[in-house]
Amino acid sequence: MTPCTKLVCACLSGLEMDNDQQSKDSSDRFDLLSEDGKNRKSVVCQRCGSKVLCPGMAVFAEKELVLPSMRKKSNLSTTEGSADGDTLTAHWLVDDMYTFENVGFTKDVGRIKYLICADCEIGPIGWHCLDDKKSFYVALERVNHT
Amino acid sequence: MDPRYDIPRRAAGGSGGSANSSPAMGAQSRRRKMPPRPADFKLQIIIIGSRGVGKTSLMERYTDDTFCEACKSTVGVDFKIKTVELRGRKIRLQIWDTAGQERFNSITSAYYRGAKGIVLVYDITKQETFEDLPKWMKMIDKYASEEAELLLVGNKLDCETDRIISRQQGERFASRISGMRFCEASAKDNFNVDEIFLKLVDDILSKMPLEITNKELSNSVLSLQPEPEVPPELPPPRMRCC
Repeated sequence: MTPCTKLVCACLSGLEMDNDQQSKDSSDRFDLLSEDGKNRKSVVCQRCGSKVLCPGMAVFAEKELVLPSMRKKSNLSTTEGSADGDTLTAHWLVDDMYTFENVGFTKDVGRIKYLICADCEIGPIGWHCLDDKKSFYVALERVNHT
Repeated sequence: MDPRYDIPRRAAGGSGGSANSSPAMGAQSRRRKMPPRPADFKLQIIIIGSRGVGKTSLMERYTDDTFCEACKSTVGVDFKIKTVELRGRKIRLQIWDTAGQERFNSITSAYYRGAKGIVLVYDITKQETFEDLPKWMKMIDKYASEEAELLLVGNKLDCETDRIISRQQGERFASRISGMRFCEASAKDNFNVDEIFLKLVDDILSKMPLEITNKELSNSVLSLQPEPEVPPELPPPRMRCC
């Protein structure tokens, strides 16, 4: 694997893994990407299957973001230094909120709005900063692909 | 937006699309899977009504105790994008649920201004939520567009045994307001909930001219901020009487 591919794999996995695990995951993860770097599959909610994005509507983007955990009670208003946050790097990026099939937006937490499932409201599945009106991130690890 | 994903306006001899025009090649390209298209329209819907009528549960499909909805309970939901398909068109709805802002004046005029559809909810088991309706109508008359479609929803149909407001009462209220539709629903039983949005969108679409561009609609889109820029002039107060 070239160093460049390794870097992409590391981003896709979003976690620290050993080399063998990286190779296995990269072959699983690469089928999520089309040739032009867009989502090959539909992006859906992990819990209820609500469709978030149709195929080809988002591009893969690498960005380090801290998203509060979905599975524990956590106070989202204070995410700084919270042990319940996950640092995620692999995301689907869209530039217009009307690109989404179904998605919810939380109220503001500082300059951030979190994205949640529109139907069952689980989240956060994504992130949006009000200072960048053309960037909406959905974390690959927080969704399923079908 | 990528031009590949635009719907071709004309079936034959279209620009963009496939360069092959012979029937054989045309048939072949039809078999090729079409990429999902982006939405045809964007519409804004607001859900209003007194506290406790169940507005928020109209929007939510599932509650599951194994997951804690950290986002929902600690931060609150601002709005949702939802997609419905109707009359062969794909429509994106931006839905603002005004839960938690039931004091009549605290829901800013901005929410009403851009709304193409307004869902006004009361609780069939609570008299006061029905008696509050004229006050909500005052807000609608004052701030909402004349063209906004109205739908009155009597919620909590699952509590039939505790019913205070009859169906006839709800129908009568709606019939007194021109263009207002009525239905009863149960968010708990998921009865009529999807139909509510489909019904509203259907009404909105039926009023639209056949050819309408996204550009015209996008002018009415509220920004993410709850207080968008004030337009040059407010729409005139709209009279709603039959």
